[in-house]
Amino acid sequence: MNQMTDLRKADASPMLRVAGLTHKVRLETDTLTILQGVNLEINRGESVAIVGRSGSGKTTLLGLLAGLDTPSEGTVELDGSEISGLSEDERAKLRARRVGFVFQSFQLLPALSALENVMLPLELAGIEAPEKRARDLLERVGLGERLTHTPRQLSGGEQQRVAIARAFASDPAILFADEPTGNLDNRTGQSVSDLLMDLNREQGTTLVMVTHDERLAARCGRQLHIEAGVLTEPDTAREMAD
Amino acid sequence: MAAAKKLMSVSRDWRERDVRVVLVALIIAVATVATIALFANQLQRTLVSSASSFLAADRQLEAENGRPVPVEWLEEARNRGLETGQMIEFSTMVFGESGFQLVSVKAVSDEYPLRGEIEIQPSQDAPREIVGGGPGQGEIWVNPRLLRLLALNIGDTLEVGSRKLEITRLLIREPDGGFRLSSLAPRVMMHVDDVSSTGVLQEGSRVEFVYLFAGADPVLEDYYQWLEPQLEPSHEWEGVRDGETFSRSLERAERFLLLGGSLAVLLAAVAVAVASRQYALSQRDTVALLKTLGLTGKGIGRLYLRRLALWGIVGIVGGLAVALPLFWLLVRLLSDVLERPVDFYLDPAALTPALMTALVSLFAFAYPPIRRLRSVPAMRVLRSQPGETGREAIPDMVLAVVAIFGLVWLYAGELALVVSLLGGLVLLLTVLALVGWLMVSVLRRVRGGGNAWRLALVGLYRHRQASMAQMAVFAMTLMLAATLVLVRSSLLDDWQAQLPDDAPNHFLINIAPESVDEVETFWSERGAPLDTVYPMVRGRLTELNDRPVKEAVSKDERVNALNRELNLTWMAELPDDNRLVEGEWFAPGVTEGVSVEAELAGRLGLKLGDRLTFTIGSEKITEPVTSIRTVQWDSMKPNFYMAFPPNGGLTDMPGTWITSFHLAEGNKLLLNEFSRQYPTVSVLEIDHIITRIQEIVRQVTQAIEAILALILAAALVVMAAVVSATLRDRQREGALLRTLGGQQSLLVRSTMLEFALLGFVAGVLGVLAAEAAVYALQVRMFEGTFRWHWQVILPIPVLSAGLLALFGRWQLRPVLSVSPMLLLRRLE
Repeated sequence: MNQMTDLRKADASPMLRVAGLTHKVRLETDTLTILQGVNLEINRGESVAIVGRSGSGKTTLLGLLAGLDTPSEGTVELDGSEISGLSEDERAKLRARRVGFVFQSFQLLPALSALENVMLPLELAGIEAPEKRARDLLERVGLGERLTHTPRQLSGGEQQRVAIARAFASDPAILFADEPTGNLDNRTGQSVSDLLMDLNREQGTTLVMVTHDERLAARCGRQLHIEAGVLTEPDTAREMAD
Repeated sequence: MAAAKKLMSVSRDWRERDVRVVLVALIIAVATVATIALFANQLQRTLVSSASSFLAADRQLEAENGRPVPVEWLEEARNRGLETGQMIEFSTMVFGESGFQLVSVKAVSDEYPLRGEIEIQPSQDAPREIVGGGPGQGEIWVNPRLLRLLALNIGDTLEVGSRKLEITRLLIREPDGGFRLSSLAPRVMMHVDDVSSTGVLQEGSRVEFVYLFAGADPVLEDYYQWLEPQLEPSHEWEGVRDGETFSRSLERAERFLLLGGSLAVLLAAVAVAVASRQYALSQRDTVALLKTLGLTGKGIGRLYLRRLALWGIVGIVGGLAVALPLFWLLVRLLSDVLERPVDFYLDPAALTPALMTALVSLFAFAYPPIRRLRSVPAMRVLRSQPGETGREAIPDMVLAVVAIFGLVWLYAGELALVVSLLGGLVLLLTVLALVGWLMVSVLRRVRGGGNAWRLALVGLYRHRQASMAQMAVFAMTLMLAATLVLVRSSLLDDWQAQLPDDAPNHFLINIAPESVDEVETFWSERGAPLDTVYPMVRGRLTELNDRPVKEAVSKDERVNALNRELNLTWMAELPDDNRLVEGEWFAPGVTEGVSVEAELAGRLGLKLGDRLTFTIGSEKITEPVTSIRTVQWDSMKPNFYMAFPPNGGLTDMPGTWITSFHLAEGNKLLLNEFSRQYPTVSVLEIDHIITRIQEIVRQVTQAIEAILALILAAALVVMAAVVSATLRDRQREGALLRTLGGQQSLLVRSTMLEFALLGFVAGVLGVLAAEAAVYALQVRMFEGTFRWHWQVILPIPVLSAGLLALFGRWQLRPVLSVSPMLLLRRLE
């Protein structure tokens, strides 16, 4: 924790630093390489889109960056902590404090109301007065009137707004979004991505987004392409290759 | 933690089908075990007390020598905190205005009876009443038959010796009546303090002093230890368990209840295991999300442990909420059947097995799959991960099997039962694996198509893992339920056979050798022919291989038969219901040897060829043991520990003859005519006892039915649990099939066929396994004989096929009633 606090003071350090990241999956007969030697640095406050086709490895990369999984080789340094060396529980604690998520399929708990879904990460992180903060955020995403509704009673767009409110609830340093508009129609997708970008700006959060939607990607400060497990950055492709 | 708390609340859980199954199964398990334990406890107490009431006490001390026992003996008993009472039994003539009659008198002290009640009638027409004490001084209660014999009425006087007593009540039933063969009919009851004023008891009169004792078992035991060295041969100490006619039936009933309870627990445990696994699978997404949001594995473990604890509380509270009213109902029934109020006896200790059941079910069955939730990868939120292969569950299954059999063993206390069940299940699973392998290799060749049969077969193949699991659970459920039904019916048949409607209900004792033929003619002319008439000589077993028997037999073997005179007989043929265990029956013309009852032979350690010496009056005879045989004590016919050959050592001894016969209720008055013609023959009316045994059997049967209902409920819950396991997959397939243009009727037919096939195979296997288990139980535990039960072998597979087909149809409902699109979206 001390180490983390110290590193946060050193604002110049990157939010995310990835070196030599390789991920392989063992199949019945042979081994499949999903990610191959990925190197990457993302600075604080940056918004980065990782674009690629289905099966290109972008979701696997997101999972590794967020510490949901551990790589076969290489290191991931998140907010100063080398997460591939942490135990699963340590990574969970890090996520509770520093990381927010938005998913393609919303991932709301169907049994809980909108308000309770947003309160959940606050309670898990032990943040005080979770209800007040959750209410404020739901107001902010335009669902102040729908606090007691359960996910089933909400439309797709509304569910994703609840998910966005939840993602920002614990005031994360970095937000990972996996195809946040993938399950929504164009118009709804547009308004949800507006909200996401606005909140991101307001809170000064670092944003890492995986998408195959070029238009959404274009709204991020930086775009990375991934194909067959190899990550390239158009503007700096040459540097990366070196 | 409002949100997290709500996530784990029982009311929320209740909305989940799998949790409902777990909770209902837990409630059933707890309810069954608690009901059985409470009721068995109650039954035990009630019946022991009613068995005690056969003695009118917990113990009796009889002095057959016609002399009272020293006063100090009774003082000692009272000093030890025992209750005591006294009776004097003798025969005498009583005189009414119009005649006289030989009666059997029971004179009782104020304390009589220490256990049980007396049934009386205030007058001929008044309803019967139950009272807790005998007649006061100056009063006499008489058998209704005596009233008719002497043309007397209530309020008249009866002279007993030189004392006039007023007839105040009709004596219908005394708690300890009927079991003593020496009692003479008809019976009168008077106060013990009036006896001396009658002057009928002279030195040498045939009189029996009986002392009653009641109190806690250990105190009674201690007292007996103190008393025993002082007892003379003519003193007989009698406890409840000796010579009880129906203890064996009850023991079997108790075993059956335990067996039933064990099966219910087993079924419920299976339901808990299946549903918890299902539940755990459905929780994987939630767990992955909670982990993503930062909850640690330990936190997840705590969350679900708390949830399990809540389930446990609901299971226990719910189970008791079912068990207590059920128990109350059963006790009410018991009291109805016994026609007397029965005190509730709610033993908190009897609830321990119920709590154990809840804990073991939760921790051995529900916990393991839920514990594995801790290792669900967080990555699951981004991409669905490979599910469980089932291999992870193998250690759980081993734990579960050990736990459940441990539980059943602990609970039923019968290793034979556990081994029978385990053997049946192992056999079943082996055959199942074989059948499954066969089915899979046949079904692999079936090509899919638009035909319902083919779709059904393809469906079975496609879900082969689930199909096999379902088949195993169905077969097991059917096996357990069938076992129970089979054991129940054979048990009831057994009882029925034991006490048929025309079972002998009267004994004739003390028939003089020269009147045997006349007595037989008397009754056969009146349509109530006698069973075999046996000679009866009273004698004591005094020596074993020429050593005094009390030395030859270790003191620990408290053999009641040694403490009193035995009824010895001779017979040419082995009675129908006796069975030769060792040695050979007397060949015609053989005059040597003695045949000994098997249990007594066992307790005395007798072998063929041992020499037994009997003292009869002043004479001694010695004979070698030539055979050992079992005796049906509850046959209501004369039974003998010792049988000699005709013309053997016993023939010249003074004796009388004894027999039993069935006399219909309406012919009771014939007894008066008989008594007048043969005043020296004693009639022992045991029809009351038989009715009582039948009542108790009926009561126990009702208890068994109630338990059976609980078990079938458990079986249904298991089925529901198993069906719900593949519900979503099947619904999704159904919706897809419909989306792709499959007609509803095709879907319905193929699904029903698939399930019917499953049910049929499971039914055949289940029934065969049940037969195997019943064979083991019947032969080993209930000491019965085995036969095939065609009446269930044929219908059960058909029924189970039908039932499962309906189940299949039922679970298709959502697929048929909602548009495929909506369903697919809902199943997302």
